[in-house]
Amino acid sequence: MSATAPTGSECKVQAINFSFSYAYGETKALHSLNLAIRPGSLLTIMGPTGSGKTTFLRALNRLNDRVAGTGHTGQLLLDGKDVYGQEVDVAELRRRVGMVFALPTPLPLSIYENVAYGPRKKGIRSRAKLDTIVEKALKTAVIFEEVKDRLHSSAQRLSGGQQQRLALARVLAVDPEVILLDEPTSGLDPLSTLRIEETLRQLRSDFTIVLVTHDPLQAARIKSDVAFFYLGELVEIGPATEIFTRPQDRRTEDYITGKFG
Amino acid sequence: MRNKEKLVEILLTLIGLSSVTVLGLIILFIFKEGLPAFAQVGLWQFVTGTRWSPGKNLLGILPMIAGSFVVTAGALVVGLPLGLGCAIYLSEFATAKTAAILKPTIELLAGIPSVVFGFIGLTLMVPFIRNFFGGPGFSVLASALVLGIMILPTMVSVSYDALRAVPPVYREGMLALGSTDWQAVKMVVLPAARPGILAAAILAMGRAIGETMAVIMVAGNSTIIPTSFLDPVRTLTSNIALEMGYATGLHRQALFATGVVLFVIISILNLTARVVVRGKTR
Amino acid sequence: MIYSSKPVPTKPEQRPQAGRYFLRAFPVLIFIMIALSAMLSGCRPRAQTARGSITVAGSTSVQPFAEMLAEEYAGRFPERPPINIQGGGSSAGGRAVLTGAAQIGMLSRQPAEAEKELTVITIAHDALAVVVHPQNPVHGLSSDQIRAIFAGRFSNWSTVGGTSERIHVISREEGSGTRTAFDELIMAGSNVAARAIVQDSNGAVREAVAQDKNAIGYISLGLVDNRVKAIEVDNVKPTLANCRAGTYTLIRPFLFVTKEKLSASGQAFINFVLSDDGQNLLAEEGLVTDNQ
Repeated sequence: MSATAPTGSECKVQAINFSFSYAYGETKALHSLNLAIRPGSLLTIMGPTGSGKTTFLRALNRLNDRVAGTGHTGQLLLDGKDVYGQEVDVAELRRRVGMVFALPTPLPLSIYENVAYGPRKKGIRSRAKLDTIVEKALKTAVIFEEVKDRLHSSAQRLSGGQQQRLALARVLAVDPEVILLDEPTSGLDPLSTLRIEETLRQLRSDFTIVLVTHDPLQAARIKSDVAFFYLGELVEIGPATEIFTRPQDRRTEDYITGKFG
Repeated sequence: MRNKEKLVEILLTLIGLSSVTVLGLIILFIFKEGLPAFAQVGLWQFVTGTRWSPGKNLLGILPMIAGSFVVTAGALVVGLPLGLGCAIYLSEFATAKTAAILKPTIELLAGIPSVVFGFIGLTLMVPFIRNFFGGPGFSVLASALVLGIMILPTMVSVSYDALRAVPPVYREGMLALGSTDWQAVKMVVLPAARPGILAAAILAMGRAIGETMAVIMVAGNSTIIPTSFLDPVRTLTSNIALEMGYATGLHRQALFATGVVLFVIISILNLTARVVVRGKTR
Repeated sequence: MIYSSKPVPTKPEQRPQAGRYFLRAFPVLIFIMIALSAMLSGCRPRAQTARGSITVAGSTSVQPFAEMLAEEYAGRFPERPPINIQGGGSSAGGRAVLTGAAQIGMLSRQPAEAEKELTVITIAHDALAVVVHPQNPVHGLSSDQIRAIFAGRFSNWSTVGGTSERIHVISREEGSGTRTAFDELIMAGSNVAARAIVQDSNGAVREAVAQDKNAIGYISLGLVDNRVKAIEVDNVKPTLANCRAGTYTLIRPFLFVTKEKLSASGQAFINFVLSDDGQNLLAEEGLVTDNQ
């Protein structure tokens, strides 16, 4: 497999022979994954259902811990340290590795309070500081202009695309290093989808972004590094231009030409 | 083939009609038997009169209305927080093994006949209240405690279902921000499950208002308006059950009239609850 | 534009013909007929007895004694039809006999207006005992004092020579034979206080008094045991001897009531109850019988 493979110390996220299973070993979701992600890059993971893309994402911020019967072997490193290490504070991990889900779930609070929730949890009380953080997060998520006049109205009145950008702002407000997105545009109309993709492209240099998508065309549009997962394996990884014009593996070619999906 | 369809349709229509009709007939019967009492005693006099003494032709059910309200409110104060807390624990915090043992146990509580609860209340709670708090022991407090425990299974089961129905992604959205489980529950899960939890509370309230046997055994059945938790009290349902055996003439009609009042109160409570639920889900 | 309320099937032979209205009304008509006949058939109950068994219903005070007699009866005459004892209260018993639901009614008070047409048989007399907790220092009260207590005029035991504690009054529901007897024998026109706690049987009253040092109640003398203390009334001890001597006056009759025409098996049971054997059994249980 052609991987843009930086060496250990340069990686933000690295999987070393990482396998993951559910149901006490009965269902194997990831097989001996070896993958390295550079800081300040945007990686799009594509693949059909059941390929393990979401499992990989949720292993990174240990959301899979919530499911009984999960197990793993191998290592999953963030800045060189195993996220499954004994001394890891999971809450802190999840702050450093933020996640945006397919379904935006704004809190039953105002837009301002939604974004301020994370910082407040970290102990920031000063109104001035919070104002700054909220404004910065909303601007970075490219939603500030739309909501600046109604920051204190309910977040649940926003449209789907706006709520998704709000979800992004919420994550940004706690100063993450890695941002994971699990099919963030799957429920959105094409216009909102494009705006989100645009936002991600702008963000990539400041964060490490991993995006999972069900739609190979989205991977092609975003023009980032692309990894193709199939049945729990990393089949191929490389820049979008390479993968889509000169795929090395037969399975990759079949996937992008639509032979299965 | 077509005939079989028609047959099933006819059968279902019959069944649907019969359940509605039975209910309608019961309501009609109660009203028919009870209305003469209103006519003779006077509706206002009946509902606000404070003396209930059929032997002396004094027919005022205000003490019993107050009794029903106070006892039901007490039961809700005991049972709602306990039930909701239990449901939250089972749904959000308990391990699968713990939940597998606890949940069926609680549901077993629902199968215990009310007379058993009344008996336990009589032999355990009444003396305890008498010794610790004073008063005769037969009291609003005893009734509230017994009823509160009796409505637990309803509250726990229905709330649990409401909580489980909240999609996992709601919780995960919060967790991914670094919040703890309880914060996720408080901020997202509970608000999302609110209609279901309110429905559970309404069901529990209905059970509490209607419970008769256990209340008769621990409430004391005095015909005074209760002014303290330790006062003995009589509810509308207890009134009917206690005196139904021997009532004749106007007295009997007055008991049916009590049934009418009960029916009206329950209808109002249910309607109000529905309106509140609908308002909150918007 | 006419919109159909049900989806119209495409094939012509599947579409409902002119008979469809009848088909819709059909189940409703059937249902109305069933409902009507069900309502009408419920109008007159018959006292159908299972293979001639005798139902005895009424006062909860008489009930335990009747049950004991019925058991004895079944033991001595196993070939005779069984005797079924039910409670429900004196008034319920009277009504049951009037409507034919029971052959024999049990009353623990004099017959009421509606029951005047029935045949009345006295099977024994029962004394009413006023009871307090065994540790209550009060041993006796005058009937005036008892009346004042139950009417709510005296509310503290110290008024009548006891400790300084609130009196907890335990009474029966209005219409119980025991309550009616108490009203007639003691209350003499005054009302029992609304505050009084009401329990629905002799046993429940006894239980309540046995548990509460400050309680006072009234039960059938025959049911007094060592968990409660029966007090003197007007300085007369509540003993069977005093009852027969006529000095203890809180006495009420235990009655069987029947319709004029009573079946042979019902009459046989009553004969047993009135016989020396039956009366002795009742006397052993604490009732006042005529044959002593």
